[in-house]
Amino acid sequence: MKSAYILPTGDEIKSGIVLDIDAPEIIRQIVRAFPQAEVTRLCPLLDVEDTIFQKISEVVQKQPDLVVLIGGSGGGHRFSKSLGKDFTHSALEKYLDEYASHEIYGKNGHMWSKLVCGKKGATTIINVPGPFDEAKAACEAYLKAVSKGKNIEEISLDMANAVLAQYPVGAAETI
Amino acid sequence: MEHEYIIAHADKSVLKISGLEVNGLNTKQLEQILADKLHTFVRVIGVTGDNIEMDVYNIEPDQVRKNEEGIVKSIVLTEGITVTDLTKISCSDKIVEVDYDSIPDEPISKCARERWMKR
Repeated sequence: MKSAYILPTGDEIKSGIVLDIDAPEIIRQIVRAFPQAEVTRLCPLLDVEDTIFQKISEVVQKQPDLVVLIGGSGGGHRFSKSLGKDFTHSALEKYLDEYASHEIYGKNGHMWSKLVCGKKGATTIINVPGPFDEAKAACEAYLKAVSKGKNIEEISLDMANAVLAQYPVGAAETI
Repeated sequence: MEHEYIIAHADKSVLKISGLEVNGLNTKQLEQILADKLHTFVRVIGVTGDNIEMDVYNIEPDQVRKNEEGIVKSIVLTEGITVTDLTKISCSDKIVEVDYDSIPDEPISKCARERWMKR
């Protein structure tokens, strides 16, 4: 890997209400795996689907090897009026030609997280959840899967399982 | 393209702390402080300038409500949080399980639970 862009999302991240501790962790992981990589953290984006879509398009034109979107991976506003708007997965689904995805639902029917892994040209694009432990685990799983030469379906599954492992789940089933 | 759905079976409630002043919140630190206080797993799921929502797992909501004063005292130590006279805690009941086999396919709502209730 030669270059990667880290793209945090979230109104609360952009305004500084919440400290962005995910991007530094993801940069650390990428640099550890690829010491010569140039890793750039971009200005956080507001939770607006079209804004996220446009920014992904703009970044991919620079032909990086990897783009990582942080946050906005859950059901968010679709399930609770008081939660933020989660659009990274829907923006990625609109943008990517080829991708695999896994959705993790709670037993209450709410979507906790949707992880998308895909390609646009030579660029791989993934999203990771906002909570630190989940972002860390998802990125670790991605880098590990890449080092083993896995395809996007396998990478997506590994990332989903890594995020699922962060919940105190008594059981899980795939449907 | 492969799309898979995973159902996670976990008990959780939503803990909301309102009446705060939040700026530069270190969510990881807050999760750790509350996890130590409540002896359970805590995950921040939503933050605005004056309130924080968290998932708390495997704990009775009453246990959280009874512990309100202690929780407020403990979060004072978190980077990015200022407690005010208006600070208060609310905790929802535990999540209700839905029967995934009874959820209609039609997109009445993006929320599976709503679709299940309206079936």
